[in-house]
Amino acid sequence: MSDKKIVSRLLAYKILAGAFAALWLVVAGLPFYYMLISSIKQRYEILGHGVFALPMKPTLVNFASVIRGGFWHYFVNSVVVIGLSLLILVLSSAAASYVFARLRFRLNKPLFGFVVALMAIPIHVTLIPIFMLTQRMGIYDTIWALIGPYVAFNLPISVFILTGFMHEMPKEIEEAAEIDGCDKLATFTRVIFPLSIPGMATIAIYDGVNMWNEFCFAMVLTQSSANRTLPLAVWDYQGQYSSNTALIMTVLTLSALPMIIAFIFGQDKLIRGMMAGAVKG
Amino acid sequence: MISASYTLGRDRQRSTRVTAVLLLAPAFFFIVVFLLVSIFNSIQLSAFDWNGADAVKEFVGLANWGALWGDERFGLALLNNLRIVAFSIATQLPIGMALALLLYKGGGRVTLLKVVYFLPMLMSSVAIGFLFRSIFDPEFGLFAPLARALSGTSPDFLGDPKIAIYSVIFVICWQFTPFYMIYFLAGLNTLPEDVHEAAIIDGASESRYFFSFALPMMRGILYNAIVMSMVGSLKYFDLVYVMTEGGPSGSTELMATYMYKNAFTIMKMGYGSTIATAMFAIVTAASLGTLWALKRNGRGESYE
Amino acid sequence: MKTGRMVGLALLMSAALVGLSVSCGGPAQKKKITMWHIQTQDNQKKTIDDSMARFMKDHPGYNVEVVALQNDAYKTKLKVSMGANEMPDIFISWSGGPMISYVDSGKIADITSYMNKKNYKDRFMAGGIAQATYKDKIWAVPIESVSIAMVFYNKEVFAKYGLKEPATIDELEAICATLKSKGVTPFSLANKTKWTGSMYYMYLVDRYGGPSVFADAANRKNGGSFENEVFAKAGAKIQEWVKKGYFNQGFNGLDEDSGQSRALLYSGKAAMTVMGSWLISTVKSENPDFLAKLDAFPFPAVKDGNGDPSDTVGTIGDNFYSVSASCKNPEAAFTAITYLLDDTAVKERSAQGKIPPLNSTTVSDPLLSKVLATAKAAKANQLWYDQYLSPEMGELHKDTSQELFGLTKTPAEVDKIMEEKAQATAGK
Repeated sequence: MSDKKIVSRLLAYKILAGAFAALWLVVAGLPFYYMLISSIKQRYEILGHGVFALPMKPTLVNFASVIRGGFWHYFVNSVVVIGLSLLILVLSSAAASYVFARLRFRLNKPLFGFVVALMAIPIHVTLIPIFMLTQRMGIYDTIWALIGPYVAFNLPISVFILTGFMHEMPKEIEEAAEIDGCDKLATFTRVIFPLSIPGMATIAIYDGVNMWNEFCFAMVLTQSSANRTLPLAVWDYQGQYSSNTALIMTVLTLSALPMIIAFIFGQDKLIRGMMAGAVKG
Repeated sequence: MISASYTLGRDRQRSTRVTAVLLLAPAFFFIVVFLLVSIFNSIQLSAFDWNGADAVKEFVGLANWGALWGDERFGLALLNNLRIVAFSIATQLPIGMALALLLYKGGGRVTLLKVVYFLPMLMSSVAIGFLFRSIFDPEFGLFAPLARALSGTSPDFLGDPKIAIYSVIFVICWQFTPFYMIYFLAGLNTLPEDVHEAAIIDGASESRYFFSFALPMMRGILYNAIVMSMVGSLKYFDLVYVMTEGGPSGSTELMATYMYKNAFTIMKMGYGSTIATAMFAIVTAASLGTLWALKRNGRGESYE
Repeated sequence: MKTGRMVGLALLMSAALVGLSVSCGGPAQKKKITMWHIQTQDNQKKTIDDSMARFMKDHPGYNVEVVALQNDAYKTKLKVSMGANEMPDIFISWSGGPMISYVDSGKIADITSYMNKKNYKDRFMAGGIAQATYKDKIWAVPIESVSIAMVFYNKEVFAKYGLKEPATIDELEAICATLKSKGVTPFSLANKTKWTGSMYYMYLVDRYGGPSVFADAANRKNGGSFENEVFAKAGAKIQEWVKKGYFNQGFNGLDEDSGQSRALLYSGKAAMTVMGSWLISTVKSENPDFLAKLDAFPFPAVKDGNGDPSDTVGTIGDNFYSVSASCKNPEAAFTAITYLLDDTAVKERSAQGKIPPLNSTTVSDPLLSKVLATAKAAKANQLWYDQYLSPEMGELHKDTSQELFGLTKTPAEVDKIMEEKAQATAGK
């Protein structure tokens, strides 16, 4: 192959890649863009002039009325619930993943298989039993009622992902720790755990997004509007026969923003986490 | 000497066992309290005829299971779920990989791209449902003018039973591709640079390097992705419920939407639980079976 | 050590939880009444909150917790709480099949004696009380609004093509043909929502056969059957209209709540729609400019049909408030419900474009007057099929009606499916 040919082929690749990158920018970004412009339109505009038209007179009144309508309250509830749930979830799945990835005992594989199987639970049938459990625990209609189900239902996939990561850590790290006199527990807390922090950031972002948008348990386990989380904030704008699309889009834009910010700051960690986790021994 | 090392081995084993119990305890606390209770409840209810309100549940043995066996709608739902599995694995994974490669080659210069590419994952199903219903609208939608210019009429993306399931799958794939993009990007970043250099020095092209070296080295990640995509597709609910409610003519019915309708809309809680239990069995068998098959195929490289 | 910290955190959390649940015991010894309703939008929510505030002021021994839930979420949450036997004291239904099944399961308190006290029930329109009655007892109070389906249309479009409100189906079809030839879609329909298309079907069944055909088939009385030819005729008419292009393209994929059908009406691309009279208040808050162009006429008569053209399809109350059987203070709960229709609340509801289901109700808005007059003139009102039937039959009706519109099943097939299910579930 001549140099000329190689150069032209590289150029072709570059053009192709650039075209693909641009195309996907539109595909991925366009719906978000429409959500954004719907939130700065008047209600009648969306139906009278279409979702895709540019706003005739951009306005922030929707944002003002959503924020006045108790958005902050829902937001704070969401932050508290998701923060605590994530903390418990990440710590308990890290501990369990270490056991599955690094300890040898007879029940290891059956137990891991069992946890993987739990990924298959359909959540809707669990609503009644979990609702009853919550009532019996006396925490129905408090934000604390959400933490248990949020941790439990995200555990299986988190353990699955994190076990995969820990599995790939080089054996030498552990052996060195043992020579230093660490028992298994100390090896976990002093060596594996710190090394897995980036991996834990990964599942934290994945599960965090899930919980942030979680709707079913939030609806069933809370009641008064004082204890509702963000995904239920759209209710105020969904009537029996019609809904106020502009305000709904405003709520959803506002709820997505913190996640975007978290992602921008977290994605570096996320990638590095996956890097560290996927290192081949 | 022999007996000493024997006790040492036993001590170590005991210490392993104690550590395992200690570290598994928090996770299993949540699993036992919240997940096991629910599964048992659902298995138990599947043997009853119950409208969800009566004080007395009528025991019917295996009658619900008999009904499920002959239920065409459930068969159709399962088929639709399998379609999602096939399309998800066939589109989300390769596109996710292509995007990952793009970002990998782009390095730090493409952070903005990365964020935009990740947006679909962050949007709530309510927003996605509304926006794509509008995008598919045959009168005011985004595709409508183009289609009318080409063929005179616009396809009925969500109203035609033959097309609707594919429209929905399109949106599902759109929503979840970013997750695999990020996941694979991490995998690419972990590949040792020396293998890359050696391959290129040996005269391999970039694409040959990717297919012959990079992909095989990312086997573990790929396997995990396949299993997660499969489980997610078999359990899927959200967007379908928002966009079509399983219609028209049941053409987008999924196991989860069918279960939900039975349990909560038409008040057949017993039958709904039967569907849920069947779903649980199917998804478990599929995920564990796939994991096992992939492991065997991978000669134990991903999970020993 | 980190695990130690974790255990500590867990302990702290559970301590916090215990403390919280204790402190929830609450102030004083007020008796608590919980009310669930679905009027989520600001001013309507406020009307209910204010009513309950008035009740609490007059009855200081009670504390009402009012919970507004979104429609779909409400349906699920109510069933979860029913399954767990933890019902709210006051909750809503739409009367009809679901209410009956709750009564049969022993979930609703009999309020007949409260309704009869001082002839309280005589304030209500007879049709509303009839909807709330089952086995000669009253189980709910009709509260929100008289909502009947009518043919709403764009006056401007009608004027432009010289069209007049039709009195018969033939005239209506002539209008459709004219509109079609001018490139205007006659009817806008968003039928992913399913009950939307059902409205056309219900009216056709009534106009062809009168109200008894459906009632007999649904109640398995007088030899009634869903395979009665009236249903087939109605189904055939719908399919004829679909084939002639009288509905907008792609209707089975469009959503009513978010307004995909109204967008067609607003833009003038479609001229008419058969819809519940709440459309008026929706337009009022969503696109007030359009209100000037909006008018309505009753669904026209069929030549040689057995139905009386004054008959309506709709609900005399919309949301019916019931007291649950598990409520510890049923009389107080009932009294609280009466505050939802005290003079202040009636005034507020009327201002919101609703028609409270009372005999004394008057309205000033010309379009609303038309609705009220039509409702009052009706010899019979048919409750929406999907709410009249049992939940299982109602859902099947919605599904099969969508299939009729989608031309994926023939009227005969649909009628057979309905009849088979009706036979299988009868007496259950």
